[in-house]
Amino acid sequence: MTATMGTPQDTTPVVRGAAAGAGGGAPFRSRRPRPLISHGRWWWALPAVLVVVLIHYLATAGGAFYAFTDWTGVGDFDFIGLENFRRIFDDPAMIGSIQNTLFLAFGFLIATNVVGLVLALALNRTLRTRYLLRVLFFMPVVLSPLAVSYVWKFIFDFNGPLNGVLGWIGMEPRLWLADPGLALWAVLVVMAWQTTGMVMVIYLAGLATVPAEIEEAAALDGASTWRRFRHITLPSIRPSVAIASTLMLIQGLRVFDQVMALTGGGPAGATETLATQVYKETFALSNFGFGAALALLLTLIMLVFAVLQQAATKDRS
Amino acid sequence: MRRLGVLAAVPAVSVLTLAACGGGDEDGGAAGAAGPADSFTWAFENASGGAENPWLVLAEEYTEETGVQIETQPLPPDSYGLTMRTQLQGGNAPALMMFAPGSGQSSSVIPLAEAGYLEPLGEASAALVPEGSESQFGIDGEIYAQPTSLIPVAVTWNAGAAGEAGVEYPEDFDAYLEACRSLADEGRSMAVIAGAVPPNPGLMSMAISATRVYAETPDWNDQRAAGETTFAESEGWQETLQTVVDLNEAGCFQPGAPGAGFDAITQGITQGTSLTAFLPGTAANELMNATPGLELDTRAFPPAEGEPYLLASPNYVLSVNADADEGEKQAALDFLEWMADPENAERVTEIQGGVPITGPGENLNAAYEPVRDLLESGSYAPLPNQGWPNPGVYDALATGAQGLLTGQSDVQSVLEAMDQAYDQ
Amino acid sequence: MFRYTKMTALREGLVWVAALLTLLPFYFLVITALKPDEELLSTGTSAPPGRPTLENFAEVLTQGGDNNILMALLNSVLITLGSIAGLVAFGSLAAYVLARSTARWGSVTFYLFLIAILLPTQLGLVPLYIGARQLGLVGSVGGMVLLYVGTLMPLAVFLYAGFFRNLPRDYEEAAALDGAGPGRVFLRVVLPLMAPATGTVAILTGLIVWNDFFTALIFLGGSDNQTLPVSMYYYVGSLVSAWNKIFAIVIISMVPILAFYLFAQKRFIQGFAGGIK
Repeated sequence: MTATMGTPQDTTPVVRGAAAGAGGGAPFRSRRPRPLISHGRWWWALPAVLVVVLIHYLATAGGAFYAFTDWTGVGDFDFIGLENFRRIFDDPAMIGSIQNTLFLAFGFLIATNVVGLVLALALNRTLRTRYLLRVLFFMPVVLSPLAVSYVWKFIFDFNGPLNGVLGWIGMEPRLWLADPGLALWAVLVVMAWQTTGMVMVIYLAGLATVPAEIEEAAALDGASTWRRFRHITLPSIRPSVAIASTLMLIQGLRVFDQVMALTGGGPAGATETLATQVYKETFALSNFGFGAALALLLTLIMLVFAVLQQAATKDRS
Repeated sequence: MRRLGVLAAVPAVSVLTLAACGGGDEDGGAAGAAGPADSFTWAFENASGGAENPWLVLAEEYTEETGVQIETQPLPPDSYGLTMRTQLQGGNAPALMMFAPGSGQSSSVIPLAEAGYLEPLGEASAALVPEGSESQFGIDGEIYAQPTSLIPVAVTWNAGAAGEAGVEYPEDFDAYLEACRSLADEGRSMAVIAGAVPPNPGLMSMAISATRVYAETPDWNDQRAAGETTFAESEGWQETLQTVVDLNEAGCFQPGAPGAGFDAITQGITQGTSLTAFLPGTAANELMNATPGLELDTRAFPPAEGEPYLLASPNYVLSVNADADEGEKQAALDFLEWMADPENAERVTEIQGGVPITGPGENLNAAYEPVRDLLESGSYAPLPNQGWPNPGVYDALATGAQGLLTGQSDVQSVLEAMDQAYDQ
Repeated sequence: MFRYTKMTALREGLVWVAALLTLLPFYFLVITALKPDEELLSTGTSAPPGRPTLENFAEVLTQGGDNNILMALLNSVLITLGSIAGLVAFGSLAAYVLARSTARWGSVTFYLFLIAILLPTQLGLVPLYIGARQLGLVGSVGGMVLLYVGTLMPLAVFLYAGFFRNLPRDYEEAAALDGAGPGRVFLRVVLPLMAPATGTVAILTGLIVWNDFFTALIFLGGSDNQTLPVSMYYYVGSLVSAWNKIFAIVIISMVPILAFYLFAQKRFIQGFAGGIK
């Protein structure tokens, strides 16, 4: 359990570990055949192992336990088997939040990767101010999603600047965050705005591995820009594509801060996601058992996608 | 503008609640002693975040009069219920706590009494409980929650602005809709709501239900509990939500209403661009105190036919922690006794901006003068959600009403969702 | 080399337009925070203030009690530094022995950390809260540090393990042959070498802790030890829509991290690219 959902950074290592696991076999057994000198003492790892077992595994197991109960947060509870899960799939509001979660996750994945890659290609070489531009595009990544959401809430306000611009070019003002057809897109825009810089940096790191000479040679041979991208650049940055897409997918699935600050899940549940529903059920409506069941479902969805992503990456490499 | 956060404190706050924790360390009084301690702790919702919170004022006055220190724990309303629940389970809850009556909110008192966390209260407290509402203040013949003043929830009428605009308060619903249309043409709105914050459309729906449901069937909640009716079958509830739709279609709300926050209400009312809002009487009172020159009073929502009817109930109650240190517990009980004393109760009412629990007397807050008759004749019902079994029902109403404004839901599906939540 | 042509200049111009559009929200942030109350409604939302003022900042900074932004800033700094210290100390030790271990338990333990990263926060939240409350850790700075060290430990172990894996063992072996014990080897040889990895760990985990809203809200909300995001959330809630005041707080909350970023931007960007590589 990572501290922040929806912070751009927190899923970074998922991929790193995943890639290591996928590519390198057992990464920590020495490849050299002389495991004679062992450095360090095993108990040095103890504090870290202990906190992880306690805070990740025991707590999660405890949470999973409540998923099969009807605990309300006070007093006794009964085991009700899979009843909570039946309720989730019978409730259109819950189905809606699963759909919203998937929409945001995949929309986020596509938007950040496309824009991030375009920016990385534009800023890879030749531009004189490319270092400054990288710093500027990366800037939103370091900010708190909460603070960023407040700024965007103002922009999307009925009397805010966005409607001001619309009015200026003679269009009707819109209820960006209260329109059931637009609110989810607005959340997506804010998520993508904040995180694209990170994807750009991942692609820049990948592009740095493409030798300039080969590209130049291809250019001299008259290969079109598209062909060069398709046959030289893209194969070299495949690892970056895998990393960036897994990262964005996982992060999109756990989106929370932006929804809470922008719409609170509204209007009438139109932007409710699994993470916000967990929160609402557990803490506002004190359905601890039901909330735990939702959290367990979210965990399973994330694990499934992480495994699928790994499988896809493995095939390609 | 800061105090206007008080509007968020509509008695049925069920915005996404955020967990929290109060420090919760108790001030050790005279532990184990037979007599009351000379201090105790008290937790309550502090919506406005300011020092003018009525409970803070009350605590200060009590200390001045008796010398007993009260360590107050003002907590943010959206996390209040969870904080108290976890502190009670953890055994570090304060001696005295504010709750809501019934079981329909996250800070409701009944589930806590059922779980055995609260101390039964004495005769003086029981005497204050409105007749017929005992089940919302206690279980098994014992009372666990002492009511404070009666808080009307209805229409807040911007009398000053209406006078300038030359508009009279419409006495029936058709006149209300007519006023909506003519005001909209002038660039004003008859009503202002915080459509983006579900509890406000939720409160509006409840205020409307007063005349559509509870005027005719005051015991509707009991019938629902007995399974004799459902929300979806109830003509009164259908009419209530249809009224919300009608108001929306007639242009009664300010432009951008579905996306508006509580700030829209303060702006609309203080600037006079809107003539009515749906607020608890106490919030209207605080708004008036915070804005010199603002004239607000309380009216019943115009009935479609028949007589006007109100919602009014003690929306805040006080309970004592059964697990508290004996001395502190006694000190907290003494405080409740002090509050029950008629003279002090009057002062409490004044500070809170409510109506005396015993009914309107000579000193009725001027803002309630237009509904004095209704209060005197008992033409009022408690907040409906106090009688519902869990916070999910009101949540379904509040988000459903929001959906009616944006066109996402229809009357029948909202009512069905409420039934579904009710039966869980 | 690719030459700088007219097309390149055009491209540079286009990218700058995109950059300015991306940064537009900061424009609204700054101009609104500088507006006095009376201009908030009278001037257009995109227009700069007619009479710029710093009074919003003054008002926001001088709030007492739960809205004391400076106290929150201090708490945020303490919690962030404390968490980084714990993660660097225990994370590097654990990653080091795991990376150097030749036994099977080493890789098993490593997967223990790997899987932990995928578990989302919500599921363990309630048990954690109950446990922390029983230990009296809810609402305290120390409790938050422990919580963050625990939650982010897998990330720290990953980043360090990746680094140690690529670190040649020659020095360690030489030192060991000279008769230095494992503790000495780690302090004298490994510790000085791991500075770059420590930079990455500190930046990635520090940023998460600094910006964390969700956990801090649950464990610190309502207590006297609120962090910046929690304090901001409550204060903004009480301000309703006084956007000039809200944005003053938002700017105050952004300044420390932005200043640090611009100061160490190279390390930040490398940290992200390098941690992922």
